[in-house]
Amino acid sequence: MTGRVATTPGEPLSAAGAAAWLAVPARWYLGGLFVLAAWHKIAVPHDFAIDVATYEVLPLVLVNAVAIILPWIEVGAGLLLLLGIRVRAAALLVAAMMIVFLAALGLALSRGLDMSCGCFASQGAETDPISFRTVLRDLLWLGLSVLVLAFDRGHLGLDRRREGAEYHA
Amino acid sequence: MSAPLSFARAAPGPRSPIRKAVLRTLLEAAAIAGGAALLGLAVNAVRPSGLPLVAPAPYETLVPCPEPGGPVAALEPSDPALGGSRLFLVDARDEDAFRNGHARGAVNVPYDWLDPLPEAALGDLARRIAASGATRVVVYGDGGRPDSGEHLGREISGRGIRNVAFVRGGAPALLPGGAS
Repeated sequence: MTGRVATTPGEPLSAAGAAAWLAVPARWYLGGLFVLAAWHKIAVPHDFAIDVATYEVLPLVLVNAVAIILPWIEVGAGLLLLLGIRVRAAALLVAAMMIVFLAALGLALSRGLDMSCGCFASQGAETDPISFRTVLRDLLWLGLSVLVLAFDRGHLGLDRRREGAEYHA
Repeated sequence: MSAPLSFARAAPGPRSPIRKAVLRTLLEAAAIAGGAALLGLAVNAVRPSGLPLVAPAPYETLVPCPEPGGPVAALEPSDPALGGSRLFLVDARDEDAFRNGHARGAVNVPYDWLDPLPEAALGDLARRIAASGATRVVVYGDGGRPDSGEHLGREISGRGIRNVAFVRGGAPALLPGGAS
């Protein structure tokens, strides 16, 4: 990626440089979160399909396809964020998914559905109900993904190590 | 004459770095999503618990309404709606009262304030109702205060079943003499 921020030892850290380092824990957090979120959905796809259907957003013909594919995109993006490979692309995917999740949540709340979020394991509406708190939480995660997308410079990531190795070679 | 020529040479110059970076990010994101989707489809195809790509029938989604249950309509015992053909009738009284007489076709689901229905039993009832093809659920209870029929109706409605009603006055008003 272009626009790498110089962080030479001894040189004061610029705002962009600080943001680039702040993006590292955000990237790890989001990566772990998405891998964790995908785990149960991949293990029990039928439960996740029911969660998807419960939102009453998608037509029936798309419910299973989304339930099959979405968790693998989550786990793919999550692993890339954790490892620091193609970080901007992975952060873009996470941001796009968060926007879709927020839209579905908003629709469900506007319809007054008292249901499980389905974000992690299918826990049922009693233990994991959707609420405006869920929306705020998802907005926070969207903000973190935008932070990573805008400011991550590959610190402590495999892409940076590989590029460094190529440079030294 | 030379200025337009030099401009013409400069026009197809390199794209801006930002545009290139955005395009590259978009392409990489599409490739990651596509690869992950193909992997997911492949794994789903070979695993025993894989889903069909298109669900053969709608999922029975039970969406509970907020406590203390969902909305129920009140029907008078003489309401013509009680003569409809696509009713799912539920008798909320205890088993003894049900054995002594009940409305034809009614299903007995005893409802006790002190011993509420387990989640599994309520879920099973909601699934039976969803599978029955009925367009209306009518519950009748003991007609007391509180009326077990009304409250079982709220519980059923709270499981996402729409169009639930209870009979005002319960079995004593609906079943003269207590028999169907």
